[in-house]
Amino acid sequence: MSGFQNQEISQVIDINRKKCKGCDSCKAFCPANAIDGKYGTVHRIDPQKCVFCGQCLVNCPFGAPTDIIDPVDQIIEKLKNKQLTVVAAIAPAVRVAIGEEFGMEPGSLVTEKLYGAMKEAGFKVFDINFAADQTIMEEGSELLAKIRHYALGEPAEHPLGPLPQFTSCCPAWVRYVELNYPQIIPNLSSAKSPMMMAGSLAKTYGAKEIWNVKPENMYVVGVMPCTAKKFECSRPEFDSAGTYWEKQGYTGKYPDVDSNLTTRDLARLFKKLDINFNMVYDYQDSDNPLAQYSGAGTIFANTGGVMEAALRTAYFIITGTELDNLNFTPVRGLQGIKEADVTMTDKVTGKTVTLKVAVAHGIKENAVPLIEQVIAGTSPYHFIEVMNCPGGCVNGGGQPINAMGTSWVDKWKAILPWN
Amino acid sequence: MASYDYVEKAIKVSRREFLQVVGVAGAVLWTGAYVATDLVQDRTKYIKLRAKGIYQDDVKAKVRQSHNNVALNKMYQTFAQKPLSPLSEELFHTRYVDRTKLG
Repeated sequence: MSGFQNQEISQVIDINRKKCKGCDSCKAFCPANAIDGKYGTVHRIDPQKCVFCGQCLVNCPFGAPTDIIDPVDQIIEKLKNKQLTVVAAIAPAVRVAIGEEFGMEPGSLVTEKLYGAMKEAGFKVFDINFAADQTIMEEGSELLAKIRHYALGEPAEHPLGPLPQFTSCCPAWVRYVELNYPQIIPNLSSAKSPMMMAGSLAKTYGAKEIWNVKPENMYVVGVMPCTAKKFECSRPEFDSAGTYWEKQGYTGKYPDVDSNLTTRDLARLFKKLDINFNMVYDYQDSDNPLAQYSGAGTIFANTGGVMEAALRTAYFIITGTELDNLNFTPVRGLQGIKEADVTMTDKVTGKTVTLKVAVAHGIKENAVPLIEQVIAGTSPYHFIEVMNCPGGCVNGGGQPINAMGTSWVDKWKAILPWN
Repeated sequence: MASYDYVEKAIKVSRREFLQVVGVAGAVLWTGAYVATDLVQDRTKYIKLRAKGIYQDDVKAKVRQSHNNVALNKMYQTFAQKPLSPLSEELFHTRYVDRTKLG
């Protein structure tokens, strides 16, 4: 199989032959054209093209595509091992969806309950929202350095990539670019995704300052609304914590993030451990610095959220004042491609700069036109956010499944018989 | 040649009966269409409700901008110095691979 690095897992989703009716709806949702099979015959996924986003899985009317990586039992074993500190890195989108698996209304915000259940299961919590804030600082600083250099004409301190800058939080999007448009790799932000930042921070700063344990005795589990994250954490370059400790004279090889649970997997784990999610006590975890987050970190789960969070910080850094209205509505909502302009006056030089941004969700319909613009050199934007799943991570491939499918944004074409 | 003596039975539908039948048929179609559109609308309901939950979390947060996250700023002060510092580059940034060139 080509297109994979060493030790990367090569398949996350497989279609159950017995359940597939050949109805073609998965093809309508697949962003990567990775599904083969004629109408009416059993379909199969080509792992070399698949970006592991799981959109086929959450939208198949027959439940045929399955997540074939099941780490639940393995993680329960790790939780029983008292030598280990098992850290759960919880993504923002999980707190509004896990309740659905226990009979709550969709969209119920259950952060404290989730922390409580995690504590009962024996996890330490690292809220990915903290890492999302950190992503804004890293990715935002990178963007501002480019703006200062290209738009305000200041000399660059580091070698800079070209504009527009694309976000790099979405592992399915990153894999899509690596597979199909390698020429725009320099445009991707070099910042890791929040989960991978959380992994390397947990095993360095977290091990040393927060939990006081040896990094080799830590087991970091990403809790994600996403199936592509299972692939991401197996990428061999994500071992920065190990490299960091090696430079300090310690030895030991370990990945930054050891394993990954989807929202559905986490619900199964709670059920296996007999934790009644509806009955657990709320837990704030207010003494844990790594569970403190801002509102900007939490909106990463929605399409437009990364952009909105970045604008709040970019505006402050350039102008020196906070935005009056923090709700930046042009980038919210389910429109396929959203655009916005923000004019700011640089506090240092007094020059004005207009930041042009775009937000796309759904790669096939909405991101590809933006990529084509970049390749043709006609892209007017400075910063482009891309999330693979329609609606963003809240509708990720690892979220609870609704039998009717959840991604029907502008998908009328998919159900018309003449298409 | 046989001769038929057949007179078609006149259908007697009074105005009232006609309205009754049309009314029932209309109601059945209307309900069906209503249920169908409702189901289709439901399909994006999940995204909207979950997104709403996330924006709720944003509004109720004490701090709403990343650069004002106290715990994060403390992490930078005591550990990674600042965004894009050499240590930040080492731990929080990555590289990508051109997968078309991988064997």
